[in-house]
Amino acid sequence: MPTAKFQGRIIRLCQKELRETLRDRRTIITLLLMPLLVYPLLSMALNRFLLSAGGPAEDGYTVGVSTEAEAGWLNTILSDPRSQPPAEVVASSGGNVAEFRVGGTSNLMPRQALEENLIDVAAEISLGDTSNVTIIAYEGDAASEAARRILTERLQWFKLREAETAAAIIPRFASTLEVNVTSVGEAKKSSMLATIIPLVLVLMTITGAVYPAIDLTAGERERGTMEALMASPVPRSYVLFAKYVAVVTVALLTAIANLLAMFTTLYFARLLPMLTGQPTFPWLTVLQILALLVLFSCFFSALLLSLTSFAKSFKEAQAYLIPVMLLSLTPGMLSLMPGVELKGPLAIAPLINIVLLARDLLAGTVTPSATVAAILSTIVYAAAALAVAAKLFGSDAVLRTSEQSIGSMLRRPLVTSPVPSLSAAMLMLALLVPIYFVVSNSLMQWLEANRESVSISSQLLLNAVALIVTFGLVPLFAAWLGRNQLQTTFRVSRPQPLALLGCLLIGVGAWAVAHEAFVIADSLGIGGLSEERIQQTMKVLEAWKQVPPWLLVATLALTPAIIEELCFRGFLFSALSKVLSPTRVIVITSLIFGLFHVLTGNALLIERFVPSTLLGLILGWVAYRSGSVIPGMLMHLTHNGLLELVGRYHESFSFLGSSLDDQSHLPWQWVAIATSIAFVGGITVYFATAKRFPATTLESSLARGE
Amino acid sequence: MLIAHSLKKLFPLERGEVCAVNGLSFRISPGEVYGLLGPNGAGKTTTLRMILGLVTPDSGYAEVDGVRTEDNPIGVKSRLGFVSSNDGVYPWLSVREMLLYFADLYGVSQKIANERTETLAKLMEIESLLDRRAGSLSTGQRQRVTLVRGLIHDPPVMLLDEPTRGLDIVGVQTIFQYIEHLRSLGKAVVVCTHRLDEAERLCDRFGLLHRGELKHEGTLEQLQSSTGRQHLGEMFVDLMRS
Repeated sequence: MPTAKFQGRIIRLCQKELRETLRDRRTIITLLLMPLLVYPLLSMALNRFLLSAGGPAEDGYTVGVSTEAEAGWLNTILSDPRSQPPAEVVASSGGNVAEFRVGGTSNLMPRQALEENLIDVAAEISLGDTSNVTIIAYEGDAASEAARRILTERLQWFKLREAETAAAIIPRFASTLEVNVTSVGEAKKSSMLATIIPLVLVLMTITGAVYPAIDLTAGERERGTMEALMASPVPRSYVLFAKYVAVVTVALLTAIANLLAMFTTLYFARLLPMLTGQPTFPWLTVLQILALLVLFSCFFSALLLSLTSFAKSFKEAQAYLIPVMLLSLTPGMLSLMPGVELKGPLAIAPLINIVLLARDLLAGTVTPSATVAAILSTIVYAAAALAVAAKLFGSDAVLRTSEQSIGSMLRRPLVTSPVPSLSAAMLMLALLVPIYFVVSNSLMQWLEANRESVSISSQLLLNAVALIVTFGLVPLFAAWLGRNQLQTTFRVSRPQPLALLGCLLIGVGAWAVAHEAFVIADSLGIGGLSEERIQQTMKVLEAWKQVPPWLLVATLALTPAIIEELCFRGFLFSALSKVLSPTRVIVITSLIFGLFHVLTGNALLIERFVPSTLLGLILGWVAYRSGSVIPGMLMHLTHNGLLELVGRYHESFSFLGSSLDDQSHLPWQWVAIATSIAFVGGITVYFATAKRFPATTLESSLARGE
Repeated sequence: MLIAHSLKKLFPLERGEVCAVNGLSFRISPGEVYGLLGPNGAGKTTTLRMILGLVTPDSGYAEVDGVRTEDNPIGVKSRLGFVSSNDGVYPWLSVREMLLYFADLYGVSQKIANERTETLAKLMEIESLLDRRAGSLSTGQRQRVTLVRGLIHDPPVMLLDEPTRGLDIVGVQTIFQYIEHLRSLGKAVVVCTHRLDEAERLCDRFGLLHRGELKHEGTLEQLQSSTGRQHLGEMFVDLMRS
């Protein structure tokens, strides 16, 4: 189908879904009415909460007394310098001295006024030679209790100073104590408000998406329009995509309405300074949070559609969604707990990572690695949820009248298929990302903790096992679940002998190209090595000297060569080849390959992206030409093996006059020779595999006079 | 025009499986109205869904205008018109918007879709409803809109699944007129129904389906001579007792 016609059709499909949803009154209620009502109410509650959280109102604590005479007496004492705390005490509380406004409580007794919440604290005073003051606070009210404590302290200071004056007659009185105050660390402005706001926004976005998600899928089935829709000659994926766009749009409109309503309320309620430290409207932060909400909407809408696509009626869809909503609340609540930080597994935990990231944005304490992990994982989850929705939407199972359980989704198909579907590939990636993250993180933490007792050889072996568990077993499980033939899924077939030779040559030459790519990327600012990272690398190279070379090659070259090729150029390649052109398959698999090399443990090794992706492109081309993973394995093995061996014996190469372990360009002769070898390898692979492409061989093109 | 060849479909149950359609074959020519008859659960709807490509047959195939469903499901769907008793409407769209939406789904150009909407609306007497919100229509009005929807792309083959279910006398009469109209246009029509009296008046040929199998097939005269019974109802009673 021509692209323009296809786009036009998709746009018209989206328009219809949006028209249908936005005309629905129920959508409008969640979209507009909720934010208009909720935030003013919420701000009133917040105001009360924040004011009663121990701090005084802007003009100080109010103290209620019975008469004007008592008020005058108390005011005199409070304004007397002798009731002021000493400079050290003032400094230790940040230079602030609490203000008090003392006043009579007119026709009410101070105690009554306090009970009716008209004042912060009450003082019952009996004036005389020795005046007696009783200070009363409202039990449980933090502001009132703070006022009582401070007022008591002020009066005690007054008494102490009086005593000091009396004691001044004792000559040369020397205190046994001197107090000084100081502080360490930086002030963190992360307040409760900074966590509540993203949480509320995320929950409101969910609320906005729920109704259209149910209405456009289960609702469509219940109204009886689904069958006619599925009977029309439009691919199911187009219809689903249009519905997805409609749900995301409504979710986003809800998010925008809520975001604006919330910040406007905060602005007018003068709560913004507590949040951002500035009284002006924080446009940039609002936009950043909006971008996060876009991402979150894309993810959650896909999740909702994947659940509602399964349901046959509104009621059933609601039954599926209620547990999901409750489940979403739990991580949301977790993010409210103090000390919860966006790192480790939390960075890839759906929903909570977005809430925490938004909180950090508001507080201005964003860490790049966790941000990338949160964003990438959310994108992967969205794609996986959409793949599930595509599989379920309007499928055989949902059109049938017989009852079907959600477990049937995980049931293995009865018939074997040669290669996995696109949705199976998405699911595999969705499993791989968290498993890889957890396995590599825990391994790294364990190795950190037991660095002394675990030998470097055991560390290398453990790394290889982790690689097999993640990149090996996860695709294998996915292939088992989809009942795919292993040989065709992992593209294991007998390679052309000459292609093997070609790959050996590319492997020998490619490392120089990869090194140059890394240096160029570094000079362009796309990731580089910090001094610290270089030191680390040197330490690793030093440690490798204790390891026998065969173990180095087996764990760092052979295992990745086999496992990564089976995963990326095998499983992913065969699944994507079903729906995409070879060029796109090569580019997408190499980008995913590059990204996985960046995400290592808790750190982001950005500098690995360009060389790994480049290597992925070459490996992808080889896999496409040869139709097998084996030549790529050989190339991967040669490339990695050479790098490791050069690393282990780098000192022996010093006679060559070039340092192999710094970030400078290689001598041009080296680059020329290595590139030539790789190029000859490439040509060899091209001709060795020409038989597989009869129409595109050079000879046939020449023969046709092209 | 429409060929069903040895269609078979099994559905899994909690224990074992049920055979919904078993080796069903028939063939329909242009201008012919074929009644696929049988009691509830005989496999009529499953057969139509297999022809439409909504359910994948375990074996056998369906072919429309020389195109097989399994080879080109989109091509087959564009040659089929489908109307079912369960058909609903989009409550928040106007009748015209809904008809044009379906025309677009079937790849009909906007100009032709507009012309066809007007012509068919006149035929089915829904001109005054075109700009009303579909959610506000009565059952009878909704049914007529659905019938127009099924014809909006002028398909050579029409599949009607229990079209008279839940309709009053006037509604049933509308369906009769509609089918006559289809016959006059030279469409191949399959009508699935368990209302045998209606079928007798409407169809040119019949296929009697019982427990997923085609037990008898032919014109009313052929069936009468082969079964020795006058009416379809009596033939069915015999079938179900056998």
